[in-house]
Amino acid sequence: MNLATGVQVVSFGILAVMMIGAALGVVLLSNIVYSAFLLGGVFVSIAGMYLLLNADFVAAAQVLIYVGAVNVLILFAIMLVNKRQDFIPLPRAWVRQVLTAVVSLGLFILLSTMVLATPWSFSTGPAAGDNSIVLIGQHFFSDFLLPFELASILLLIAMVGAIILARREFLPEQTLATELEQPVLTLPERPRQLVSVASDRNSSLDKVERQK
Amino acid sequence: MFVLSGYEYLLGFLLVCSLVPALALSASKLLRPSGRGPERRITYESGMEPIGGAWIQFNIRYYMFALIFVIFDVETVFLYPWAVAFHLLGLLAFVEALIFIAILVVALVYAWRKGALEWS
Repeated sequence: MNLATGVQVVSFGILAVMMIGAALGVVLLSNIVYSAFLLGGVFVSIAGMYLLLNADFVAAAQVLIYVGAVNVLILFAIMLVNKRQDFIPLPRAWVRQVLTAVVSLGLFILLSTMVLATPWSFSTGPAAGDNSIVLIGQHFFSDFLLPFELASILLLIAMVGAIILARREFLPEQTLATELEQPVLTLPERPRQLVSVASDRNSSLDKVERQK
Repeated sequence: MFVLSGYEYLLGFLLVCSLVPALALSASKLLRPSGRGPERRITYESGMEPIGGAWIQFNIRYYMFALIFVIFDVETVFLYPWAVAFHLLGLLAFVEALIFIAILVVALVYAWRKGALEWS
């Protein structure tokens, strides 16, 4: 084992420990903000795994899209609705836990059989090598030019839609009217019987007058 | 065969980056006075006294900036191969990338005119 292979093995070990530890933290921590930050750690270690597999463009896209976009949106969604409150214990929590365990175990068994059944042989096609990004760029501007330009139009549509949804100024009138309609609030107590109160006061006034 | 050709500098930077916080914390532990007042536990906020807790609900207006950031973040993924292969691509690719950016400038102008970039 020379130096390069050693560095690679050590990097793989560190990345694997980081990924598994951060993923366990995402699931096990009760504070959801910590879970979101650890999810970013999982994404970064997956990007490191891609680098180890010599897929540098996928690693860059992983960092840009998952850490930069997806995790930022998750963190914003959490911090905008973040209210520190304890979870109320559900009445039949064990049913949900057993169901979740069955589903997770089934998924684990499915993925394990997939891992064991895959031959994992190297592909015989031409390897992209070090200049995979250059190849991707050349394909973008020759035979994938139309999807490249359509992607920008898709981003434009997404931006316009996001702004309209976030500003909520193009909602139809009917939806706004039903949203703004307040439910009639009623107090959960019986109405006072004003007659008896009046008679009580009269009787008390009578008492005062008698004392005089 | 070293799979990560050209990534020795990245490994070096990662080592230095992981050393910096450990060195900073241990150096400050050696240098600082060992006072045990209650001010020790306050969050350092540029010398000001912090007001309120840090676990608050953030303003909903930040979400608009996050959405716009995400759009241009995804744009970066598409422009990254163009920037790397720029010396191999011709003038046509430059024009096409300008069209790509122009369509997204339309999105930026739309956000600007709709007041999505304003704090109000």
